[in-house]
Amino acid sequence: MKKVSIPACFILVLSLLLAVGCATFLGPCAHEDGSVGACFWAGRALTGIGAVLAVQAVMALAVRSGRIRLGVYLSMLPAALFGLLTPGTLFSLCGMASMRCRAITQPAGMVLSGIIFVLACAGAVLDLKKNRKENP
Amino acid sequence: MKTASLSLRNLTRRPGRTWALVLLTGFLSLSLFAGSVVVMSLQSGLNSLEARLGADLIVVPKAAQSKASFQNIFLQGTVGAFYMDAELLDEIAATEGVAKAAPQTFLATLKADCCSSRLQVIGFDQQADFTVQPWIVQSSSRELGPMEVAVGSSISAGVGESIRIYQKSCPVVARLSATGTGLDTAVYCSMETMKTLLAAAEEMGVSHKVTADNSDGVISAVYVKVAEGADIDQVASSLASHPSWKTAVVQTRSMITGVSDGLAGVSSAVKVLIGAVWALAFVILLVVFALLMNERRREFAVLRLIGASRRKLARVILTETGLVCLLGGCLGVAVGAALVFPFTALIESTLNLPFLTPSWGRILLIAALSLAGTVLMGMLSSARTAWKLSRVDTGSILREGN
Repeated sequence: MKKVSIPACFILVLSLLLAVGCATFLGPCAHEDGSVGACFWAGRALTGIGAVLAVQAVMALAVRSGRIRLGVYLSMLPAALFGLLTPGTLFSLCGMASMRCRAITQPAGMVLSGIIFVLACAGAVLDLKKNRKENP
Repeated sequence: MKTASLSLRNLTRRPGRTWALVLLTGFLSLSLFAGSVVVMSLQSGLNSLEARLGADLIVVPKAAQSKASFQNIFLQGTVGAFYMDAELLDEIAATEGVAKAAPQTFLATLKADCCSSRLQVIGFDQQADFTVQPWIVQSSSRELGPMEVAVGSSISAGVGESIRIYQKSCPVVARLSATGTGLDTAVYCSMETMKTLLAAAEEMGVSHKVTADNSDGVISAVYVKVAEGADIDQVASSLASHPSWKTAVVQTRSMITGVSDGLAGVSSAVKVLIGAVWALAFVILLVVFALLMNERRREFAVLRLIGASRRKLARVILTETGLVCLLGGCLGVAVGAALVFPFTALIESTLNLPFLTPSWGRILLIAALSLAGTVLMGMLSSARTAWKLSRVDTGSILREGN
């Protein structure tokens, strides 16, 4: 029986939360005058990053080869790092800390991306160890 | 084989069981750490509000009280403005029992380009003020010049940048330290700057005049320090008894008491929640260790047969528990930190109470105490199991299987 990769399961759930959340309940608000600010595009970028990570997590769950899974985990690292830097660093947000983009989208995006980064690292290390054991 | 090495091997050989225990103890430490940080932040916020109010009484226009806007400006950072005639300041200062009277004028901006939202601008008299000035002194040693502003910690504009308010460019010369209150979202300027901004607002159609011939200008609130020995209630009632003033008197003590009551309610709820989680976790850990005892009786009987002393067996169990609790505790503290610190603005607005994160030293202390508490709890719940397992009757247990 094929063993399920635990980090990939968690990454799938968290990346779906990032993708769906940043488009809905974690997303930035519209401005009072209906205009769209940089924070809106930061939310869109996080949704895209979440979707990419979700696809990668599905791939990590589907593949049988440990080496390919290791590659998938490694490819998740830059995507998660991009997610970590998107709100506030690569995309500017509203100036007031109490605004929705600063109070919800930024911390949620950074925390979720950060956890995904750590889990991807853990998955890569586990697969590396397993590969070394199987192919010394 | 050394005790620690044996315990570590026992844990790594059964990863499922180990991770289940780690998650359980992690939950314990998460509840204690996050709960304690929230309660301490609320307490710090209240202390900060008390320090920032500084005055005994605040005289505001009657409209301010009916709109409940005055307290909201302090607690939630709600943008609002209300005005009374500036001539009242002298009369308030001349009232018996008033030692100091300092005026402030509020102005609500339209959308400011720095913040994509409206801003609260507070003008204060730099000579008479005794509430904002001590706070500004912590960040800037000089007085605010013409059109210069100091910004609260929740506004991202930095020193050297400028904020445009009603088409006027205002250079930021100081960023104030966080108070955990609505005051962090305000912009502070001198009364002279405020007069210019009010005129600019007037030009853009935002009127602030109390009456048509309001030539002396307007103020929004007068902060009053009561003279030494004077009765605050008596001064408050004499300030409130002028029918022509159309003002209301807010006692800061009652405002703080109101916040304090709200804080006590939230703190009690958090403490009850922590207590419930800990009681539940203790019972679960007791049951888990009792079940593990049955599962591992043969393993320990074999260890006894090959020469392990009773004390060694007890040490093995306690070391295993210690390692699991330490790992779970660290995990809980890390998750708690990730859940609380990035979301302080959200917690503050949800609880509607002042929320000021404690210093790093205190946070580290809370983390260490949470870890110690988790390890201690784990040790206590496994102590009975350790004692029982170390006294296994080797012969009868090994015969059970035959």
